[in-house]
Amino acid sequence: MYVISGAAGSPPALPRFAPEAGRAWRQYLYGIGLVALVSLIGQPIRMVIDPTNLVMLYLLVVLVAAIRWGRGPSVFTAVLSVLAFDFFMVPPQLTFAVSDAQYILTFLGLLAVGLVISTLAVRAREQAEAARRRETHTAALYDLSRDLATAVSQDMVMQAAIRHNRELFDCETAVFLPEGDRFTLHARSAGFPLDQESNAVATWVFQHGQVAGLGTNTLAAAEARYLPLKTAQGVIGVVGIKPRLARKMFLSPDHERLLEALLSQIALATEAVRLADKAHQAQLLRETEKLQTALLNSISHNLRTPLASITGALSTLRDDDQMLDTDARWELLNTAWEESERLNRLVGNLLSMTRLEARAMKPALEPCDVEDLVGVTLAQLANLLRPRQLVMDVPAALPPVSVDLVLAAQALVNLVENAVKYSPADTPVDIRAYVDQGQVVIEVSDRGVGIPQAELDHIFDKFYRVQRMSDMSGTGLGLSISKGIVELHGGRIWALNRPGGGMTVAIALPIAEPSPGEKEMQR
Amino acid sequence: MTEADIRVLVVDDDRAIRRFLRTALGAHGYVVFEAENGQQALRDVVAHRPDVIILDLGLPDLEGVDVTRRLREWSQVPIIILSVREYEEDKIAALDAGADDYLTKPFGVGELMARLRVALRHAISQVDDAAQFVLGDLRVDLARRVVEVRGLEVQLTPTEYSLLSMLIKHAGKVLTHRQLLHEVWGPGYQGEKHLLRVNISNLRSKLEVEPARPQYILTEPGVGYRLRSNV
Repeated sequence: MYVISGAAGSPPALPRFAPEAGRAWRQYLYGIGLVALVSLIGQPIRMVIDPTNLVMLYLLVVLVAAIRWGRGPSVFTAVLSVLAFDFFMVPPQLTFAVSDAQYILTFLGLLAVGLVISTLAVRAREQAEAARRRETHTAALYDLSRDLATAVSQDMVMQAAIRHNRELFDCETAVFLPEGDRFTLHARSAGFPLDQESNAVATWVFQHGQVAGLGTNTLAAAEARYLPLKTAQGVIGVVGIKPRLARKMFLSPDHERLLEALLSQIALATEAVRLADKAHQAQLLRETEKLQTALLNSISHNLRTPLASITGALSTLRDDDQMLDTDARWELLNTAWEESERLNRLVGNLLSMTRLEARAMKPALEPCDVEDLVGVTLAQLANLLRPRQLVMDVPAALPPVSVDLVLAAQALVNLVENAVKYSPADTPVDIRAYVDQGQVVIEVSDRGVGIPQAELDHIFDKFYRVQRMSDMSGTGLGLSISKGIVELHGGRIWALNRPGGGMTVAIALPIAEPSPGEKEMQR
Repeated sequence: MTEADIRVLVVDDDRAIRRFLRTALGAHGYVVFEAENGQQALRDVVAHRPDVIILDLGLPDLEGVDVTRRLREWSQVPIIILSVREYEEDKIAALDAGADDYLTKPFGVGELMARLRVALRHAISQVDDAAQFVLGDLRVDLARRVVEVRGLEVQLTPTEYSLLSMLIKHAGKVLTHRQLLHEVWGPGYQGEKHLLRVNISNLRSKLEVEPARPQYILTEPGVGYRLRSNV
């Protein structure tokens, strides 16, 4: 019984290709030596007991030879034993002449038993060896499959294949896979030749599904052998193997079988990874579609809401003008006006989102005074802010920030708009700016209900809106756009709940390096 | 010239915009001509001799900038350009090519009328040689080079003063960074935007009550600055 020791490191190295022929003659020499030894030991014993009994000693030698060295040496030893027995033991000594005819029978017996023993022993030995090889192969395959099982990417599969091929067969390996409509080298070990020829042979193998290259009948001039990777779906790739030392490839039938098993495992693993990839792609696609659906729903809802107010106000003015007093008319007009401003900001945000996602936004960075940035922001929200109390703490002495004023103002507009939208009309909005850790921080704070602690990190996610505020209008795009813009500037954005209620959203923007001219001016 | 005599050429390929402008301008007594594209606009300028042009930058045939350039080859008629927010470069190019001012779509008719009045005023008297400029609490005596805020005299550096007087000369009109640098500092200073930024900041801190919410000197993001003509 054999225990597969797969878990314990690399498998025992296989004998490289075929056993070396050079060693065989030595085994015959050992056989001669053993026979000589027995003949020597037999000399004193021969004086005491009948020489026929010494046959046992020779049989022992044949047995040893059969077990140790196999069929050839054991047969050789059996014949040699008969001759030595005749020469040294049977009177008359030191001649092949035989005095007693009974010894002829002894010779025949010795030869026959020797041959039988050698046959049996050799068979036992071969079985043992076969079993050992099977164990080694099983361990090798087990080892490979364990590596393949943990491989989550095509590359990991390829690396495992390359490593095992080197350990088992002392081979350089290359893997060719179809990519789109092309067929290209996907991975290779360092020693594998990288040339036109290898690609051509691999392509041939891929198209025909047959082995080719070194040691085969097809394209035998190639430096390596190319084998198809086959699965139930057909040929999915080609593996090239090139012996590391000689420009020869001896593979015993056992090795061929092992290689085949190895390749089918690699093929299966490659297929599995590919299917997993496909499934992952499909999953991604579904998520993207889900997001797009959410976006479309959100856009549709949020574009139509202000449009509904505008249409409503305008149709009232058009159809029911007689019934309206001045105040009502004024109210309707203001509604339409404010809603169209909101619509405009929304369209701007959608455009920015698209440009951010397409990475088409290139900020034109320039030094900009924080006061100016805040001023531009507030000017854009003048109508929204008119009824609100604004508490400002923006010192004039702050260093200029390095921003694209148009984009940075948009980021800040979203923050202020959010603060106004999600807090009671009679509470102030605070804007504070200060320097912290080499950046200028601008905080926008409100006295709204705040945000559950667990959700603070999510408010910058696209389409995120705190659940209980879902009746409020907004796409949930504003803050995520602010985040995109701020990060485009190399800044940070974060949110926290305020002591005493409400929340603060802060952005940190990089301070502008003074230009050479400016440094001069400061001196 | 009264408003009733003033001829406006509206150049825009969008029918709804033209309709709205025709109605709004007509209600204010302007005489309105319409052109759908740049070629027609160039012909109509010759045919109708408008006093002011409202020019959309996104025309089907010609770039608004090119229309501006070609008009400026022979005409000083005020041009107010219409654009959308995302294309600052186009606005700046048109302004530097000689357009007088711009409006970002969507805009209110109030803004439009203010821009028109400013453009027409500057067109009529190229050099506004009024001795006094008054804007809210700001009073500038141009003859004596004295600047007062709420009756108190404010000391300006020579650069700050020439920057302010340049803004006053074009009060109500946007001035690009390039124009300001060229006029105040001279040719060769077009790239030195920090000079402008620092001096505007200083002017605001001396003139404005709350520099972070300026009432006089407004920033036109990405384009330039504008001194209000009224508060």
